[in-house]
Amino acid sequence: MPIEIPKDKWPGSIKSITIGATSAEGGTRAKIITIGGGTTMPYLQFDAPVLSGDEAPNKPVIAIEIKSHKPEDWSPLLAEVWGEAMSDPAEWAKKAEEAGADLIVLALTVDDSAEDAVRVVKSVLSATGLPLIVWGPGQAEKDNELLVPVSEATKGEKLVLGICEDKNYRTIVATAMANGHLVQARAPMDVNLSKQLNILISDMGMPKDRILMDPTTGALGYGIEYGYSVMERLRLAALQGDAMTQFPMIVTPGFEAWKTKESKVGEGVPEAWGDWTARAINWETITATALVESGADIVVLRHPESVKRVKGAIEELITA
Amino acid sequence: MYIIGENIHIISEKVKEALAARDREFFMDLAVRQVEAGAKAIDINLGPRKKDWAEVFPWIVETVETVVDVPLSIDTTNVDGMEAALKTIKKAQPILNSTSAEPERLEKIPLLAKKYNARVIALTMKTEGIPVEADARVNIAVESLIPRMMEVDLPMENLIIDPLVLTVSGCQQYCPHLIEAVRTLQYAWDPAPNISVGLSNVSNAVPNENRPLINRVYCAMLMGVGLQMMIANPFDENQNDVIHWVETKDTSNPLACVYNKIADRTAAGEEPQMEDFNLSDPEQSAIWKTTQILLNKVIYADAYLMN
Repeated sequence: MPIEIPKDKWPGSIKSITIGATSAEGGTRAKIITIGGGTTMPYLQFDAPVLSGDEAPNKPVIAIEIKSHKPEDWSPLLAEVWGEAMSDPAEWAKKAEEAGADLIVLALTVDDSAEDAVRVVKSVLSATGLPLIVWGPGQAEKDNELLVPVSEATKGEKLVLGICEDKNYRTIVATAMANGHLVQARAPMDVNLSKQLNILISDMGMPKDRILMDPTTGALGYGIEYGYSVMERLRLAALQGDAMTQFPMIVTPGFEAWKTKESKVGEGVPEAWGDWTARAINWETITATALVESGADIVVLRHPESVKRVKGAIEELITA
Repeated sequence: MYIIGENIHIISEKVKEALAARDREFFMDLAVRQVEAGAKAIDINLGPRKKDWAEVFPWIVETVETVVDVPLSIDTTNVDGMEAALKTIKKAQPILNSTSAEPERLEKIPLLAKKYNARVIALTMKTEGIPVEADARVNIAVESLIPRMMEVDLPMENLIIDPLVLTVSGCQQYCPHLIEAVRTLQYAWDPAPNISVGLSNVSNAVPNENRPLINRVYCAMLMGVGLQMMIANPFDENQNDVIHWVETKDTSNPLACVYNKIADRTAAGEEPQMEDFNLSDPEQSAIWKTTQILLNKVIYADAYLMN
């Protein structure tokens, strides 16, 4: 007997958003990325197939996070795998592209001056043809000091600038608007605050196809379930037609997973925890995969092996 | 609508200062003005007063009863303070605010109510917290609160069940369930228990400029399902207008029509519809948006009116 699978018809959908601009579009990127466009809950292939091509809805993509200076507080496992490249952002970006990144996240640091920031962003743009997300160091004043000149020096590239939070978003949004970039809007795992920030950013006049929302998340074992349900609720609201939750989502499982004890510590842990490297990569991969399943459009990772595995998981989700 | 005036509340800085100074004039004035504005009873919430309850509770009762004759609602978690107030009250039948299904409170407070012939507000809440679902709240009333009142032989008309309003800012999913709880509770027992809510809780943690709108839209919905008593701000004139329009089915102006429509739709178990509102009128558009957040249709954000 044939079984008819019930399909949901949602009134709303996730916006399709493009990051990066080719020379024809006023930038210098060899490759641009389109995310979002979802019209149903994630991976209900019978409802609305996620596509690998350019048509919406688009499959999730993976960004690799690099820093403008070699991060001293990152796990030795990451230092080992990236090697010398960690001291040279352009080299690191190249290696990240080779490792399968769809786009690069470049995190600036408090040690950068405005000139340093512009120089390092430009060097990364020359080293790779991938679209680029640039984060300030995460202190309001310093973020603004670095991101404004970066934004002006890269006008038309369609970078993503971040991270906008409720305490500091106006300057970043204003400069992104003026120079044709996008913004990443982060709220602390709370649907109401996510929506609030999206409203405030839209109210400044930022076009709705240039906002990514970052709902914040936790690692496996460290609050991922809260992040997961916030993302699920935002997605449901978006599908129900709430325009202020219809932005694609970017999350940072790499950052979250690599600060857990399980990933950070190799010695003095129970033997049953097994091999350190395997465990750390599993932690990042499983965290990221769960978030992809809850509707993440961009996952930001740190280890090349996790990138490979999460890509595999996405392919399986699409083809299964 | 039987309004228990909420304004003598320790959360207010002015009340805090006046209490510290034992400023009789301040409290007498605040009580009189609430009654003049339509309050049928006066809630008195000065906190638990763990150290000076023996002096404060009799003092405030005596002060307020000097100028008003209405019932006083003794709003505290301090049982000794509550009894001290009860001993002092000379005028109308008092209200104890409150008990819940938490064993210790449910043990003591109804006995006090019985002893002093007071009415008692009973919250549909257990030690584990407040259930989201309307049915679960009604069950607490039917399985714990009402049986306990019968056990101590407190007349049903002295029981006031409060199914607990929670804020739309953070507990949004509770808002539609509370409406259903108010609807159902009236059929949960014969005779029907009195029902009261703390209306302005719905807008806790909401920016001040939006609070009155959220309160009065929720008020219209709750009146639709039969709410006749609430702890609320009697000075809110727009809210008083809404109460008047809905009570008298006054549809003589567009806003009165809209609020009556909200009450009627809610009464019929329907949701307000977009066509009930003239969305080109900013005020009606704001009311429409408010119905949508209160029914948990659209995610609340402080700037929801800009959405």
